[in-house]
Amino acid sequence: MDLACYPNKTTFKTLKLASTSTSSSSIFVFPSLHKTKTLTIHSHKFPFPRLTKALSTSPTAVQTSPATTNNILQDQGGKPQWKASIDFKWIKDNKETVATNIKNRNSDADLEHILHLYDKLFILQKEVERVRGERNVVAKKMKGKLEPSERQTLIEQGKNLKEGLVALEEDLLKLNDELQREAQCIPNMTHPDVPIGGEDCSTIRKTVGSAPKFSFPVKDHLQLGKELDLFDFDAAAEVSGSKFYYLKNEAVLLEMALLNWTLSEVMKRGFTPLTTPEIVRSSVVEKCGFQPRANNTQVYSIDNSDQCLIGTAEIPVGGLHMDSILAESTLPLKYVAFSHCFRTEAGAAGTATRGLYRVHQFSKIEMFIFCRPEESDYYHDELIKIEEDMFSSLGLHFKTLDMASEDLGAPAYRKFDVEAWMPGLERFGEISSASNCTDYQSRRLGIRYRPSEALVPGPKKSKGNLAPPQFVHTLNATACAVPRMIICLLENYQQEDGSVLIPEPLRPFMGGRNIITRKSS
Amino acid sequence: MKGKLEPSERQTLIEQGKNLKEGLVALEEDLLKLNDELQREAQCIPNMTHPDVPIGGEDCSTIRKTVGSAPKFSFPVKDHLQLGKELDLFDFDAAAEVSGSKFYYLKNEAVLLEMALLNWTLSEVMKRGFTPLTTPEIVRSSVVEKCGFQPRANNTQVYSIDNSDQCLIGTAEIPVGGLHMDSILAESTLPLKYVAFSHCFRTEAGAAGTATRGLYRVHQFSKIEMFIFCRPEESDYYHDELIKIEEDMFSSLGLHFKTLDMASEDLGAPAYRKFDVEAWMPGLERFGEISSASNCTDYQSRRLGIRYRPSEALVPGPKKSKGNLAPPQFVHTLNATACAVPRMIICLLENYQQEDGSVLIPEPLRPFMGGRNIITRKSS
Repeated sequence: MDLACYPNKTTFKTLKLASTSTSSSSIFVFPSLHKTKTLTIHSHKFPFPRLTKALSTSPTAVQTSPATTNNILQDQGGKPQWKASIDFKWIKDNKETVATNIKNRNSDADLEHILHLYDKLFILQKEVERVRGERNVVAKKMKGKLEPSERQTLIEQGKNLKEGLVALEEDLLKLNDELQREAQCIPNMTHPDVPIGGEDCSTIRKTVGSAPKFSFPVKDHLQLGKELDLFDFDAAAEVSGSKFYYLKNEAVLLEMALLNWTLSEVMKRGFTPLTTPEIVRSSVVEKCGFQPRANNTQVYSIDNSDQCLIGTAEIPVGGLHMDSILAESTLPLKYVAFSHCFRTEAGAAGTATRGLYRVHQFSKIEMFIFCRPEESDYYHDELIKIEEDMFSSLGLHFKTLDMASEDLGAPAYRKFDVEAWMPGLERFGEISSASNCTDYQSRRLGIRYRPSEALVPGPKKSKGNLAPPQFVHTLNATACAVPRMIICLLENYQQEDGSVLIPEPLRPFMGGRNIITRKSS
Repeated sequence: MKGKLEPSERQTLIEQGKNLKEGLVALEEDLLKLNDELQREAQCIPNMTHPDVPIGGEDCSTIRKTVGSAPKFSFPVKDHLQLGKELDLFDFDAAAEVSGSKFYYLKNEAVLLEMALLNWTLSEVMKRGFTPLTTPEIVRSSVVEKCGFQPRANNTQVYSIDNSDQCLIGTAEIPVGGLHMDSILAESTLPLKYVAFSHCFRTEAGAAGTATRGLYRVHQFSKIEMFIFCRPEESDYYHDELIKIEEDMFSSLGLHFKTLDMASEDLGAPAYRKFDVEAWMPGLERFGEISSASNCTDYQSRRLGIRYRPSEALVPGPKKSKGNLAPPQFVHTLNATACAVPRMIICLLENYQQEDGSVLIPEPLRPFMGGRNIITRKSS
């Protein structure tokens, strides 16, 4: 029978919740500095000096200037400059809170230094303005009728002022760049309910199901895969290297079923489906909070180019609206994106790397929301609920964690991870992550919206009485990371005879198949 | 020198030995260099050519088969870019900012169309006995070369990964060929027939001109590829089987197309014979290639080191032993595009457009699109 339909409105039956148990180990998307974790994306260091802009005195947004494409960079050239719209005034006004936050997150941002640079910048700007003023005075005087000697004096004054100005402006540029570079290290603020501390401080928000009990020795996914002829890691090691794999036979159908079903489930909830580029400019990677050029970076770079491979669709989806002002009426924008993801897993070692658990390439469905600031907490809850509903439907036993402050990674204001029980590995393994990045990414990607209420009440809306553009909030959440899901399904649904049952929601997407059995030879 | 010798005799021998040794080292170095040079040069020799292949340039390619006819439209025909814009199916502009030109996002029903094409194609080809696979998309550059591509040439089609000997694949043909590299297969397992789904990445360096608009020429796309490993005497047969599968599928989708027997100058080094299918694209007002089926005979297998052990005894007798089995032979390999998604999307949008700007979905794909039979404009 054919592979069945994918978003088909009539094929959904609700699944009885199976139940399971717990444990913990985490890998996923966001930069984690924890020693025992193998994830190495460090998102809070940006090695590039960024361009300048006069400091705004507004308490809310700082003006962004359009990203320029001047290539200034050290090693290769061809890399665009960019600037994050950091609200320095707010940081200065809330110094203690920001400092505490930096400490709680174990970040190495140097707040004192940053504020010092900011003050210096302010003084330098005033000086530049003063000198410009003087130069204007001289220029004005030169327009009048003057004695030759007076004129000569003025010409020399003008020349000195000009040279002085050029030097000051150079200093201003360098100072701005340094300030940007340092300030980009400041991690996002933290939700008040986030537990403070290391990974063992993360709290459990919810537990679903319980660990299945087996009356026979449990196999791990690698052994099941071998017996059922579902993967080939050995050939992939020859062709590509370790941590690559081929999926074969029903594993391919399982991947397609998971992708089709997940896309369908999330679309039903009003998300717009997307496929995305998997090669992106490295600047976009940085603006999302990742570090393509760090040592042990998770990011693959393309030779002779400023491009990288994406580690998650979050990056091209965030980039979809970069440097834009969205109409408020379009918010929230909710996308569900399918892409392949590529990660170097540099620095990842140890047992948490067997088989499909840690691989260089995998398929993933990602949810992404752009919304108004006051709604991001709400949508964070919505995203985690969608994930929990889907994982429950598949009969998995899992727990949802509220990640502790040291485990958040620079962009996330708050992060919920889901860890599912993997009986063959005898522990919980991370299968998804949902982050509220508030305005961290949008200040870097330059994504704002124009609020539609008039500032001054009146019959007519005009540009004059509309509020200025505000930065949107962005959120991202894993709807389905295929290899981790395959581990869960194979290990939880294994039967004594070595076959694997297919959970009900996926059966219509597998041509009605309800079980994976050994091949007769 | 092992015998009993006078000291002076021994000394002479020692010197002779030393001279001979130095001479040998030099000769062996020369041998190595010569072997390397021979390999390098010889690898440039293209595969032999099937006797029926027309000799000459691309205008000498002959038409093997024509299916269907161009649809007649009673209204001005739009191209896929315009249809995509009106139906909110693609975004090339945002992709140009995020990634560069020739990148794109698919949106809304275009995503469903891609999934439907992939699901349906996999299903159709599996029905014909092919084993489904997904493959690595990063591979060692040596494997790329062994398949007959040139990652290091100027204007190469191949993306390389920084600080590494790895590349991105331009087609699943590469990792599938590599699946059995340096192996001896049992004859009883042949033919091995795979249908592989992967994303493909191509630099399209040097590609310019009108044949590059929209989805026609892009850096990244999804493709389903068929690949066969077989015994030499069967490769012509499987070449015919592969092109028939393609023709059946494209007919089912209602496309108007012609199958070409590509001329000798257009084969590319690995192919002994190559059939291309070009489908009518009304918006582009011409035929555009949607698939290619090549019989590479033993060109790739000699480089990838893929052989099989024939199971008949050389010397007739009651017992098969290693002594009287024929030595391993190189297999033949074939590859054929089952579905290159962007080209198929162009065909479907342009051929099935309606006067009101909507697009009908061909019947075979409807079950894979949740029963949808049409793509219409979104109400705002």
